[in-house]
Amino acid sequence: MCPTCHAVEYDIVDLAGTGVVYSYSILHHPQNPAFDYPVVAVLVDLDEGVRIVSNLIGIEPSEVSIGLPVRVRFVPTRDEMAVPVFTPLAVAQ
Amino acid sequence: MSKVLAGSTAVVGVGQTEFSKAAGRSETQLASEAIVAALADAGLSVADVDGLVSYTIDPVEETELVRGLGIPEIGFSSRVPYGGGGSQGVVLHAAAAVASGAADVVVAYRAVKARSGARFGRAGGGGSPTSSHSGTTAMQWCAPFGVLTPASWMSLNATRYMYTYGVESQDFGRAVVQFREYAANNPNAHFYGKPITLEDHQASRWIAEPAIRLFDCCQETDGSVALVITSAERARDSERPVLIAAVAGAGLFEEEIASNHYQPDLAVMSGSVALARRLFDGFGIARSEIDVAMIYDAFSPIFLMQLEGLGFCDFGEAKHFIADGHLGLKGSLPSNTNGGLIGEGYIHGLNLTVEAVRQLRGFSSNQVENPTTALVCANRTGVILRRP
Repeated sequence: MCPTCHAVEYDIVDLAGTGVVYSYSILHHPQNPAFDYPVVAVLVDLDEGVRIVSNLIGIEPSEVSIGLPVRVRFVPTRDEMAVPVFTPLAVAQ
Repeated sequence: MSKVLAGSTAVVGVGQTEFSKAAGRSETQLASEAIVAALADAGLSVADVDGLVSYTIDPVEETELVRGLGIPEIGFSSRVPYGGGGSQGVVLHAAAAVASGAADVVVAYRAVKARSGARFGRAGGGGSPTSSHSGTTAMQWCAPFGVLTPASWMSLNATRYMYTYGVESQDFGRAVVQFREYAANNPNAHFYGKPITLEDHQASRWIAEPAIRLFDCCQETDGSVALVITSAERARDSERPVLIAAVAGAGLFEEEIASNHYQPDLAVMSGSVALARRLFDGFGIARSEIDVAMIYDAFSPIFLMQLEGLGFCDFGEAKHFIADGHLGLKGSLPSNTNGGLIGEGYIHGLNLTVEAVRQLRGFSSNQVENPTTALVCANRTGVILRRP
């Protein structure tokens, strides 16, 4: 339900797939076998105003910074599934 | 002050087991031992108890507990949602039950094997046996990206805090050094006899860079803590009561366990701001009345963020407040004198409440001189205790 108007209808809309890094964390420990460490975790503020938890790839962990412009890339997981991760906008273009 | 909860109830007993890395017995047994100790401390028996309060994530099942302890009749029980941010919620539930007349004597407890059982710092812990849903549904948006642990969830907020206010790892380290100094003097603490320097802190390995090093983390601990709460009137017959001067929760359910990644400004702990309004303004108690404070330190960054949210200093100023020595025994706000969750151990934050009671009774290992008023708070729940 929409907390503003209590509407129950919803729609799926395409987003631009671009945004900026709101915050990040370079995860070292504990390590889970499903991931390659260090994991670069980010909060991305998408241009449309939605914030999501994701990963930043294609960048050295020491180069990650708040405010970095990023673009989405979908990485296959298994079967037909994929997860949205992000790369620096400069790399994506 | 006309609030029914203002000073109408009291903590009359506290109890605990040893804190360890391997308790070697069940959570139910740990809770039972802590409760027996708390009742003995209160000068009461199981026959006096008619209320039980714990947490949704506590694994101890009430029926087993009641049968094992031999409590003849329970009239009130509840469980507080949340992780450690709800840790003082049991005091609120117990005090509300007593003040309303729903119960006469309520036991609040927490038992956990966070090291020898399902490790708290690791990923993959499911719901507890007593509650499959413990405020964890937002975790599905974190898990696919390796954001699997409390440190990883909180570090995303903490990095933004550092960025916003120019805070560095060593600013967190100064708080940790103080807690470890207290712990070094507390025989019950995990880090008893093991103080550290700021250099030691800075040399400890990264868990979640740039916010959380190993020494910024609380201890995964096995153990149990229990409190006995009754009316202020009945407490007059007890030996060492501590009055519950104020108790509150604030902004519950605005977030789930350590996964508040969606509010506009993550550099501010909004729960602390709301809690301070209810606790200080709502009960007409000034911050300057607080002689000693216990502030939830699952990870050191959130200690600084709570100092600011609670209004003990301006936003961004906690690093200076700490560097100026305010947390020490001679400071304006001696804090986490048991060593905190970082130095003593992590029993959900309820061991901080026990330390506040010890301070007001005059039996802390790091005793503040003649305190009359103590604050215990954990983000969105808190209590102010007073010597009668």
